[in-house]
Amino acid sequence: MPELLEVKGLSKSYRHKNYWFNKKTTTVLTPISFSVEAHQTLAVIGETGSGKSTLAKLLVGAEPASSGSIYLNGEALKSTSYKQRCQHIRMIFQDSGTTLNPSLTILQLLDEPLKLNTQFDEMKRKELIRTTLQKVGLLGDHMNFYPHMFSGGQKQRISLARAIILEPKVIILDEALASLDPSLRSQMINLLLGLQQQMGLAYILISHNLGIIRHFSDNIMVLSQGKVVESGKTRDVMNSPQHKVTQKLLLSQSFQLKLKPKKNKRKKK
Amino acid sequence: MNLLDIRNLSIELIHDDQSILAVDKVSLSMKEGEVRGLVGESGSGKSLLAQALVGVLDDKWRVHADRFHWRGIDLLRLSIEERKVLLSRDIAMIFQEPMACLDPTTSIGEQLTEAIDSGQLSGYFWQRKKQRHSAAIKLLHKVGIKDHNACLRSYPHQLTEAFCQRVMIAIALAGRPILLIADEPTAAMETTNEGQIFRLLASLNQLKNMSILLISHDIENITHWTNTITVMYSGQFVEAGTTTQIFSKPLHPYTRALVDSSPSANLHLPAKSRLKTLPGSIPILQHLPIGCRLGPRCPRAQQACVKAPSVTDFHGHKVSCHFPLVPLSPPKKTIKAAC
Amino acid sequence: MARDKIYLEETFPSPFMQLWLIFRKTPVAMVGINCFLFLIVLAVFGPLLAPHSPIDGQLDMLLLPPAWHIDGNVSYLLGTDELGRDMLSRLMYGASLTFGLSFIVVIISLVIGVIIGSLSALTSGIKSSFLNHFLDVTLSIPSLLLAIIIVAILGPSIGNTLWAVVLVLIPQFIHITRYAVKEESRKDYVLASRLDGASPFRILYYSIFPNITDRIMGQATLAQSAAILDIATLGFLGLGAQNSLPEWGATLAHGLDLFYIAPWTVYLPGLAILFAVVATNLVGEGIRHALKLRKER
Repeated sequence: MPELLEVKGLSKSYRHKNYWFNKKTTTVLTPISFSVEAHQTLAVIGETGSGKSTLAKLLVGAEPASSGSIYLNGEALKSTSYKQRCQHIRMIFQDSGTTLNPSLTILQLLDEPLKLNTQFDEMKRKELIRTTLQKVGLLGDHMNFYPHMFSGGQKQRISLARAIILEPKVIILDEALASLDPSLRSQMINLLLGLQQQMGLAYILISHNLGIIRHFSDNIMVLSQGKVVESGKTRDVMNSPQHKVTQKLLLSQSFQLKLKPKKNKRKKK
Repeated sequence: MNLLDIRNLSIELIHDDQSILAVDKVSLSMKEGEVRGLVGESGSGKSLLAQALVGVLDDKWRVHADRFHWRGIDLLRLSIEERKVLLSRDIAMIFQEPMACLDPTTSIGEQLTEAIDSGQLSGYFWQRKKQRHSAAIKLLHKVGIKDHNACLRSYPHQLTEAFCQRVMIAIALAGRPILLIADEPTAAMETTNEGQIFRLLASLNQLKNMSILLISHDIENITHWTNTITVMYSGQFVEAGTTTQIFSKPLHPYTRALVDSSPSANLHLPAKSRLKTLPGSIPILQHLPIGCRLGPRCPRAQQACVKAPSVTDFHGHKVSCHFPLVPLSPPKKTIKAAC
Repeated sequence: MARDKIYLEETFPSPFMQLWLIFRKTPVAMVGINCFLFLIVLAVFGPLLAPHSPIDGQLDMLLLPPAWHIDGNVSYLLGTDELGRDMLSRLMYGASLTFGLSFIVVIISLVIGVIIGSLSALTSGIKSSFLNHFLDVTLSIPSLLLAIIIVAILGPSIGNTLWAVVLVLIPQFIHITRYAVKEESRKDYVLASRLDGASPFRILYYSIFPNITDRIMGQATLAQSAAILDIATLGFLGLGAQNSLPEWGATLAHGLDLFYIAPWTVYLPGLAILFAVVATNLVGEGIRHALKLRKER
């Protein structure tokens, strides 16, 4: 299958503005390269500070990369123009509380990306918003509500609607499922899987929860201090981790992944 | 003898002359030295229950119960002040975001020494300061912090969340409680550090025979560390039993759905297939269903479910459902919930 | 999955409507806002409704006590001063001077302060710091002293007091706007807007401003009560309203010499100032209280 997203040598370093003469640079992300195909999910794991969120921000264009390039379907993406990028790569954030503007109705919220990036007239926009809301499992009437009237799970669905409304090719899930309750998480995963099949999306999933990653992703990439320490197919990496960082990450959650019944430590005296 | 025996506890919210039952007739009992898990998603009322136990709810909540015994003492007969004195001595609580629960302007050492009860110190008043200091060091060692000097001098924002949680546990232990209530202690930290905190709690339970009530929304996480589990949904009691009973043979459709949504159940499923879920979402306080609150979402719901179900007991495995999943043998006894 | 019940019986209040609904339930705040609206109506229509002229006095009606006194006259409801001018008319004209001017002062300083504050929040580094602390020098000088300086240069008049008070009030708005905008721009929805390709101005207007207007309004009421007192004080000292302008502070100053013979010429303007300041403060308290309650919901 042709590669949808290809990243070559992407890196990011910051310069400290502490002293006027002594500018220190910290490298948050060393040059990394990877690729994702349509209908595939790439999971990115690592401890805090390993550069996962920076990678997400670089891919979606929130921050300019220090070096490297991103190719989408063979075309290079310019790092300065948002308009080109936002149509193809979208992102869902973790905290559903601050991800929706509390003073706007859902209609206005979803209208904004459409107004800025497409030439549709008002009727067509409203129709598109209605169908998108139905795709994520909400009602068309919900577009007149304000965000504070929805529960956490529904807010994440609205963020998902905002992400898919421009029909992108890649969606980045930056710990989007972490704050949800388990049953809502399962519903969201089913929804994401359905959309992936329907629209041919590629997902980049950043998460701590190895159970979801095991179920949901095809390939996995392990980051540690800005470097890729291991990557490959999910089943292979999870069954036999090579690098010690991966082993440590897997060990801490290993009781979730064993197939045989767990040893229940009896705590009674 | 049961350490804690609560029968049919209800918590009402009074708002604009309307009263909503946030917690509807929940029973909970704990034995000494037991680690019990209290599982429920958001809106299930589990944190409310814990706060009602300790007595920190404000005036807009009203609490009723049929029975509320603590170590054999009937707390309903005591006045509110006496109840508070009794409970605050024996129960301690730790919360979700430990860094936010510590005072950011004072060092850990000062907060820890402040928590030490002066009744535990002997000696003359000029010796008190030194005794407090050594008691604080002992508490830090108990929770596994070896470098006590650095810890006592530092401020909360200089430490990681897991470290702060250990400090919180140390502060909770300063009062020598018999029951420790942990309200989602590891929600704010990374998964690598979760195991440390749970291991600490398990060791405290084993060494000091301290009972622990672990509140969580993730049933998978706590099955390794608990003896018994109680499940709540939207303020109602759903199921209670030993961990193996709940996890391997759930009797209530909701518990079955919770167990199904945990990763270890999904290991058997092929990758990227649909997970089994309950349709719908958790009802909000303003629109609670009558009778069994799982009714609108339950796949086994029938006409009878508009009445609140009573609790049935299958060999210690209690279920509150009109149509439980697999009744293995005729129920041992049916406990009628007071309507 | 959709909810099975839709909010058929409930309305969809926007956050601003929510604020208003909470505000309406606080009786004290409602009293405050009613008085505030009354004062605004008085400030606008006072000159039309006043029964007598505030400047020309009737020479045979000097120092008449208010109507509830034995010697009082009903057509001069609140009495007259030493030049025969009707107190009620003077107070009504004064409302448009003291209160109306304070309102205008607050609006001017709000607009200037918000513009500078937003510019300061959007930029970073030295430019941002400069804009932020640009007018802080006026915070160090009390408005009275500043007015004296301006008056010494330009001459005493009510227009100059206006500029003095505006200068003093601007830094508060700069600081509060900058802080609020910086806080809002850290939220994810602003990032989402930016990623959608919105220009910074559009982000500011659509995403940030609707969420900070409440805080700015709370600050504006604080500023207004300060402005009322400043204008009245400057009028009292003779640096503001000149000659026979019926500004409340000036009226109070005129009546001071005759306090023992005609106390009403002193306490009536004083009560008017008190009423205006209390009404403004009640409205401000109501807004802040409603903001706090809305956040808790």
